Amino acid sequence: MTTNTFTIAGRIIRQLVRDRRTIALLVLVPLVIASLVGVSIPDKAMLDYIFPAILAVLILFFGFLLTGISFLRERSQGTLERLLASPVSKLDIVGGYLLGFLLFALIQTLIIFFYMVYVLDITYRGELWQILVFQVLIGAGAVCLGTFFSVFARNEFQMMQFIPLVIVPQIFLCGLLWPVTQMPEYLQWAAKFLPLTYGVDGIRALMLEGQNLADIGLEVGVLAAFAVVLLILASLTLRRTSAG
Amino acid sequence: MLHDATILEVKLFSIKEHLLTSITTGAIILHQMKTLTGDAAPAAGAAIAIRDLSFNYGRLKVIDGLSLEVPPGTSFGLLGPNGSGKTTLIRLMAGLLKPAGGSIRCLGQAPSPAHARSVGYMPQLPALYQELSVEQNIEFFARIYGMKDNSQRARRVEEVIRLVDLWSRRRTSVLKLSGGMKQRVSLGCAIVHQPPLLFLDEPTVGLDPELRAHFWQHFENLTSAGTTLIISSHTMDDAAHCQQLVFLRQGKVIAQGAPAELQAATGSSGASLEDAFLYFIRKGEAAGNDN
Repeated sequence: MTTNTFTIAGRIIRQLVRDRRTIALLVLVPLVIASLVGVSIPDKAMLDYIFPAILAVLILFFGFLLTGISFLRERSQGTLERLLASPVSKLDIVGGYLLGFLLFALIQTLIIFFYMVYVLDITYRGELWQILVFQVLIGAGAVCLGTFFSVFARNEFQMMQFIPLVIVPQIFLCGLLWPVTQMPEYLQWAAKFLPLTYGVDGIRALMLEGQNLADIGLEVGVLAAFAVVLLILASLTLRRTSAG
Repeated sequence: MLHDATILEVKLFSIKEHLLTSITTGAIILHQMKTLTGDAAPAAGAAIAIRDLSFNYGRLKVIDGLSLEVPPGTSFGLLGPNGSGKTTLIRLMAGLLKPAGGSIRCLGQAPSPAHARSVGYMPQLPALYQELSVEQNIEFFARIYGMKDNSQRARRVEEVIRLVDLWSRRRTSVLKLSGGMKQRVSLGCAIVHQPPLLFLDEPTVGLDPELRAHFWQHFENLTSAGTTLIISSHTMDDAAHCQQLVFLRQGKVIAQGAPAELQAATGSSGASLEDAFLYFIRKGEAAGNDN
């Protein structure tokens, strides 16, 4: 990570801050969804149980969408090519995106978290800072996932189609709708390779069982490894030169 | 300033016209022959040296055995119709495309991220961050091209914004600027780190005549200061401003020389560059038929 990584991250943050409509949407959309979740599940005990998993899903979804589309815009506007003609490394570009968008993914999850805890009166166990650290980890994975898949999309339409391909299977297999242990064995195997499974397991352990980060070392380790591997893969697949 | 530029433009044109009548046709033909056959020895210290370059998009040959050399400190025009390979050639020189064959040397080195700091690149589309202001765009490119000293960078950014005549709009989002203004910001981003080699892909496209004269005045200042400019264009008006030109057609160099030399090669005293371009196309076709 070099100063160029921070320069690119700073530019992304400045870009989004100057786009007031996007900032308004970044705040409003999580509030609308959190309200919908709160109102649509009237059973308080069920809401308390399902909330951590929904939080993990939303972090993944927002992080993936925001980063994927933005990275693609960079390509379609020609600014990515301009960056690739400059002395910055590919890792600087992807790393800058990770840092820049992680901030916004984090802001969105904090909005959902505090809104549901303080307005919708969700109860949770565990320490707040540990829950937030774990949310950052899920967010980092989501941002890396978005950057990685945007490398393969040539336009926004293609990128949108990655959502049902990348996000929806994870929602079905992460244990949000049905316990993973009761699924067919081959699906249980598939679930082991999906980051959201570890995100949901980890955040449930923290918020429902009151465990700490040390207790969920496996989930923390897998999510961190997942983010690092995707970051490296995204920078490797981002071609500076293309052969004819 | 723009008025002065127009006078300068007229004077330069008169000088070129004068040169046109004074250069002997024999010397020109010899020059063309060397260029077309590619047997000229590489000039020492050439800003760009390209040998037998080829590039394909799938089955389509976009650059086909192209060789050329660009002396340092010149404005070098790549002239040709749409699809002649101008942008592809610039992208190859900027290291954004990998050649299928042949070699490219920019300032003595193969295009790579390591040499990118010595190069400025202005793409055909403005390629700017729309939400950011003029100042923020130019400042960002100054940073990523290694201008680390804050006060030095701030001075240079201000200098460039004034140069492209956008000081009063420096805090305006690029999104709110006109097409010509965006082109000027894009130029500012390409020159902010003062590279010795500049690739400008159709820099004057969509500009009004006044702004075009303003751009050319600045390009002439840059070459006077020793910067090598590679400028692609499909307009003969732009071509007349370049010190050296290559005519490109179907990924090949069909002629190379100073605008006056190329005009004189037609053998007609009143020939325009457009006439010269058509002359070389016909000459190439005739040579092809003979074979």
